[in-house]
Amino acid sequence: MAQVIFSTWGGDVVDNRNVSGEPKAVSYRLPVAFDGERPLRAFMGWDGIILFDKYVDVPAMTAEYMKRVQTLYCCGRCTPGKKGTKVLMDLFRKVLERKASEADLDTVGDLAELLKNCKCTLCQSATVPVFDAVKHYRSDFMAYINSACGPNAEPAKYIHKITAPCMDKCPAHIDIPKYVEELRNYQYGEALATIRENMPLPSVCGRVCPHPCETACRRKNVDDAINIMVLKRTASDYERLHNLTPPMVPKAKKNKTVAIVGAGPAGLAAAYYLALEGYQCTIYEALPEGFGGGMIAVGIPAYRMPRTILQRDIDIIQSLGVEIIYDCRVGKDISLPELKQKYNAVFLAPGAHRSKPMGVEGEDKGYKGFLSGGIDFLREAYMGRPTGMGKKVCVVGGGNTAIDCVRVALREGAEESILLYRRSRKEMPADSWEVDGADEEGVRFEFQVLPTRIIVDDKEQVTGVECVRMAMGEPDASGRRRPEPVAGSEFVVECDTVIPAIGQDPDLGFIPPDMGIDITKWNTVVTKFLPLKDAAGKDLKDGMGNMLSRSLITDCDGVFAGGDAEIGPLTVVACVGNAHRAALVIQRWLEEGKAYLSEQDIFDDLLTYLGVYDKNEKVAWLDSVNRAGQKEIHGRERAAKGNYREVELGFSDSTAQTEADRCLRCYRMAMVAV
Amino acid sequence: MAHIESCEKKTATVTINGKQVTVPTGTTILDAATELGIKIPTLCWLKKISTTGACRICVVEVEGVERPMTACNTPVKDGINVTTSTPALEQIRRNTLELMLVNHPLDCPVCDAAGECDLQDNCYGLQVDKNKFGAELERLPIRYDWKLLESDPNRCILCEKCVKVCREIVGREAIEIVDRGDRTIIDTISGEPLDCDFCGNCINACPTGTLISKPFKFRGRPWAFDVTPGICAFCSSGCQIEYHAKNGRIDRVTSSDETYNRGNLCANGRFGYAAFNSPGRVTSPMMREGSSDQRKVTWEQALGSVAARLKELGGGAVAGIGSPRVTNEENYLFQKLFRGALGSNNIDSEARLGYLPSQILQWELLGYSGGTFDMNAIEKASAVVVIGADLKGESAGFAYRVIQAVTKNDARLVLANSRGTSLNKFANSFLQCRPGSEAWLVAGLNKAILAEGLEGKSANVQGFDSLKSSLEALSFEKITAACGVSEAQLREAAGLICNGGSTAVLYGFDVIRSADMKNAVTAAVNLALLTGATSADGAGIYPLDEKNNTQGMLDMGICPEYLPGYHTYEHAAAKFGAAWNCAIPATPGKDLFQIIEAIESGQIKALYVMGSDPLHILPDRNRTLKALQKLELLVVQDIFLTDTARLAHIILPAATGAEKAGSFTSADNRVQCFSAAVKPAGESRTDAEILMKLHALIAPVVAMTPMTSDELHHEITSLTGLYSETCDHDGCRMGRVKNRTEKAVFAPLNPVALPQLSRPFTLKIGSLQHHNGTMTTWSENNMLVAGEACLELSLEDAAALGVAAGDMLKVTSDSASITLKARPSANQQRGDLFVPSHYRDPQVNLLSGQKSSPLAVTLAKA
Repeated sequence: MAQVIFSTWGGDVVDNRNVSGEPKAVSYRLPVAFDGERPLRAFMGWDGIILFDKYVDVPAMTAEYMKRVQTLYCCGRCTPGKKGTKVLMDLFRKVLERKASEADLDTVGDLAELLKNCKCTLCQSATVPVFDAVKHYRSDFMAYINSACGPNAEPAKYIHKITAPCMDKCPAHIDIPKYVEELRNYQYGEALATIRENMPLPSVCGRVCPHPCETACRRKNVDDAINIMVLKRTASDYERLHNLTPPMVPKAKKNKTVAIVGAGPAGLAAAYYLALEGYQCTIYEALPEGFGGGMIAVGIPAYRMPRTILQRDIDIIQSLGVEIIYDCRVGKDISLPELKQKYNAVFLAPGAHRSKPMGVEGEDKGYKGFLSGGIDFLREAYMGRPTGMGKKVCVVGGGNTAIDCVRVALREGAEESILLYRRSRKEMPADSWEVDGADEEGVRFEFQVLPTRIIVDDKEQVTGVECVRMAMGEPDASGRRRPEPVAGSEFVVECDTVIPAIGQDPDLGFIPPDMGIDITKWNTVVTKFLPLKDAAGKDLKDGMGNMLSRSLITDCDGVFAGGDAEIGPLTVVACVGNAHRAALVIQRWLEEGKAYLSEQDIFDDLLTYLGVYDKNEKVAWLDSVNRAGQKEIHGRERAAKGNYREVELGFSDSTAQTEADRCLRCYRMAMVAV
Repeated sequence: MAHIESCEKKTATVTINGKQVTVPTGTTILDAATELGIKIPTLCWLKKISTTGACRICVVEVEGVERPMTACNTPVKDGINVTTSTPALEQIRRNTLELMLVNHPLDCPVCDAAGECDLQDNCYGLQVDKNKFGAELERLPIRYDWKLLESDPNRCILCEKCVKVCREIVGREAIEIVDRGDRTIIDTISGEPLDCDFCGNCINACPTGTLISKPFKFRGRPWAFDVTPGICAFCSSGCQIEYHAKNGRIDRVTSSDETYNRGNLCANGRFGYAAFNSPGRVTSPMMREGSSDQRKVTWEQALGSVAARLKELGGGAVAGIGSPRVTNEENYLFQKLFRGALGSNNIDSEARLGYLPSQILQWELLGYSGGTFDMNAIEKASAVVVIGADLKGESAGFAYRVIQAVTKNDARLVLANSRGTSLNKFANSFLQCRPGSEAWLVAGLNKAILAEGLEGKSANVQGFDSLKSSLEALSFEKITAACGVSEAQLREAAGLICNGGSTAVLYGFDVIRSADMKNAVTAAVNLALLTGATSADGAGIYPLDEKNNTQGMLDMGICPEYLPGYHTYEHAAAKFGAAWNCAIPATPGKDLFQIIEAIESGQIKALYVMGSDPLHILPDRNRTLKALQKLELLVVQDIFLTDTARLAHIILPAATGAEKAGSFTSADNRVQCFSAAVKPAGESRTDAEILMKLHALIAPVVAMTPMTSDELHHEITSLTGLYSETCDHDGCRMGRVKNRTEKAVFAPLNPVALPQLSRPFTLKIGSLQHHNGTMTTWSENNMLVAGEACLELSLEDAAALGVAAGDMLKVTSDSASITLKARPSANQQRGDLFVPSHYRDPQVNLLSGQKSSPLAVTLAKA
């Protein structure tokens, strides 16, 4: 078990260098070995330094850190940052070259103070570990200055990663501060190019992303988060509204081919990045032409994601040379082994389109008016096919799909649209603004109710749902209170249609059992991972309970998996991030025969695990500009029958400018010694 | 996190250094302090661009915020208490400047900016006389290989002003911040030598000696020059400039950010002054007898001869061509000489080729010629339509306003043009029509607005029904067949144009010079009326002209059909005659084309050309040449030995716009007065001086003893009723206001069918942004960046012909052939060609026969 030798992380000094007896026990959310193999000897970043190995050369590490900040990342756009880090870099180099004096070390403190006036946080935060190093390892610096031998240390390899709280929190790791600044500088094209580096569906994630980045926005510590999502939409709308041709040019065609199962966010993203590298990609999509986009198309109603705009993103991907074969369901129209045989690599991104059962009496009886699931309802409505919906529609669930269903039901002509959810409004997993949107459109909510029975008439037509009221029970063993039925509170919600919308599963029936592809108990595809363990020897896992750092190759060589079918049902942005990684790994596998994660990939996962955003950080800033909200169509008419016009209208460019100007540009650099 | 638009308080009251001020929300602390008269030092702040916050000099303390905030880019918050100067803040400022000076070259003795360097001023002001910081010195290469500009990145403080001016004002993005850390510099993105508008607005913005003007380098110390405010004498934007002169020579042109044009100029404004110093200037009177060479003579000989021979030929046998280059006063004196002293109404100008008839038409429809409002109104538009114009080529000031509207005011931009221009990247809709079909295209926009029901209150304007019925007769199919733009595109554009706000309509060369000018201009005016552009809450209609005083020249009566102020002979000849103490012929004279015909027929024997080069400007060069050679007397009054001047019997050397006082009227009707920056070169004289002298020689009347400028202004205003009397000559360059009558009528549209072209390619002749008229072809600066005429053709045609950039191509029309260098360009559509009009060689108007642009030509490799 790696012991912390010394740390200033988070401002708490832990000094186990010269303790007699029990060292102070402290742990950080870091693995003991960077990639599961090479021990993590030291970590240096915006919040201080952490040493796990007493033979780390702190002055050398400090000099290297400052050199990388100044020469690789300092943007030069403010005086203290540009010049201050240059002075510091040269100062530390002089220390290593034994040309410095002790007085030079005192300048570090002066500069750390002066760099608090930097425009953004990169250079400013870089002075934190550097100042700590000089303060607490002064004798090591003096050893360089005064003697010929320097400190007693072993050489290290350094790996660094630039990040920002929002960028880290975004599963696709979009360079958010960069594109926000580009927008603010009227560089719409550049902003969009920055977004596309990590997000090939900008118009989609500019509209329907749950924007986890905004939960990690440091501006929240001043007032409210930057409206990062709508700024992304601004960049993508600008290109479309100015009839500009996307500038991407794929590299020369390579003779290697990749088959992709599913034209959803993961499949499209993987195809985009592979096509840019010159690989010939063919996507097999079960739905007919005009309905590409997977869950974005059939799971997100057009009033949130207009079809033509989604199609434009798909068309752009196709313009890079990606072929999409529609109306072709893998497992039915073509088999997976056939794909594996025909292509150099196969990427499975079938999504999660199978509705979960509700677990209610009568749901399996095939009653008229009991629909198979929310996602099926949305798909049929989207494709303009009969949904089987009546006039009074009851949707069961609390997620975004459930909300989409009640709102679509109105647009499909429902006279009443009712949502049944077993917990309270604030506990709904659906995004709060979606719930508000449904409310505005006249949806009736029944909170804290549990459907218990489907009621039908003699023709087996649904006439209602019997429900029971729920109340919070006593805390269970884990201390969590669960909703429990209130005895005698049964009542009937009259309706002619019931739509269960309580979640989806991947449908992996197309994977033959004999291919060696493992499937988890949650019905997701198993992929290979790095053995990252914490100090206590426990596996590091991501928020979905998956292994933290996965290379996305299945146990069947040449077959990769991603998106909802690999992660579990999550978000568009998570699928895109995951598929982008898959595309990188597939490329390595095609070129080098090895499917592995790069140091940068691993570092991404490490930082996500560590957490870059600190909600308790005190950020001094004048809160003089409020967060801008986008324009929106209001009133119930927006949900009138057949009205699928987009409800949210984005920013005007000038509003985007003002909003982008609120960004604090919270870059910072982490570096490890291994 | 609510997804709704926030409703905010509109003002904030703040306390700065104990003083209170109430400002609109969104105001920065810096601006609020300025309102209180409190000065906060800045380096990277520039009012006309977005804030940057790079230099960190403007830090202030805001009570309750535990870090200093930069005043320049921090908006105020209601109730805040700000302190702008404390020992701690001064220390931060000094330390920051010390950091800025780390490795900054101290080559002030040879630095161009010495004496006008913001860094010097700030270091001096904050008494930064030592530096405790140091770093290893690394010198970055100086860009000596750029044209007109030089960049020394070592002097750069990364304030970003140049980059932002280039992007936000000029819309070019030619320079960018590249590299990282201390090596961060301003450079072209590609690293190649600068290839841009060469407007030099970046030089103006640079606070140090990083970006400098090469032509000005080592010409002198800034303080050694006499600086005279002037009005740019190139395009019709009427930019306010400063001439920097030493020893009677203009060595630099700048413009202050406090001017109407906020210091923004174009390549012509900033660098075109070199034409004034050109060896091509004529600086002494010249005469020739018979077929002999032109020889220097004295002014007495020249003027005596001109006066005697004009007087002798007199009346209907003499004709005059006025100038869009000279001042209002000089044009007034010119027509007065002809009408009053010589008794001839045969006066016209090159505006006959388009601007004049188009503005007479606009006058009939709207009650005024030129722009509705002054051009800054465009910046407040919510929709801008540009028809048949390359704004930067024709009048760059308008382009800058449109860029402001679209980038800062969210305006929608519709370009209706046969070729792409530098504004295309800002366009929400580019309606690319066939050359010459502008009338059809704009009629189509008229129709689309009605079809979409977007005409609003304009239906009450007189003539609406006749417009409506004329449009009903025009089907979209017919329109599309004529101009090549689809109904769907037209309808979409109609929606963009009528977006509920104010609209600006600009129309340029291709409309004004269109073969079907009548319908093209009428359609543009109708469009303005349909969108409310000309109403008080609209953003105006603006005709464009390439030259600085075309509008003023027309106002001054340089045309055969109107007296100054557009008075008819019938109504005003007696009044003018009485004022001038003479009799004015009461019937309209001959226009430019009729003058040529009359010379050919022998009816006109003497032609007096002032500041114009008919041989270059008129179509059918050979015909013009023959006519001019036939004249008994050709007098040319010009600053250069133009092609026409070479044929002259007598050349009268005139003065440039920098060498005289007077006023110019811009295309947007700003009448701007200026005084002389230098004396006329050599023996040359101002046009006014020459004209008054001649007038006195020909008709020695009391009224024509040399007049003071005030007397002249008074005469002009009282007779024309067009310009206001008062003009503040002390700095205000917008003293005079142009009067107008307000009326508005729709006129029906019946666009003329386009002729079947006899040759496969369509050639258009027009302006480039690096030149203005032929004048800048005398400027070595402009010639350095755009030294020769190239033939632009589409990439597809270039590929089909197997032609690469620089290959020679032979262009043949029905009249002639010329050879030009090819320049394949994405701006051209298949079958279309473009050649600039500026260059004296090759003589493009050899091609044009009797016709104006566009021309049918064939193309072959030469």
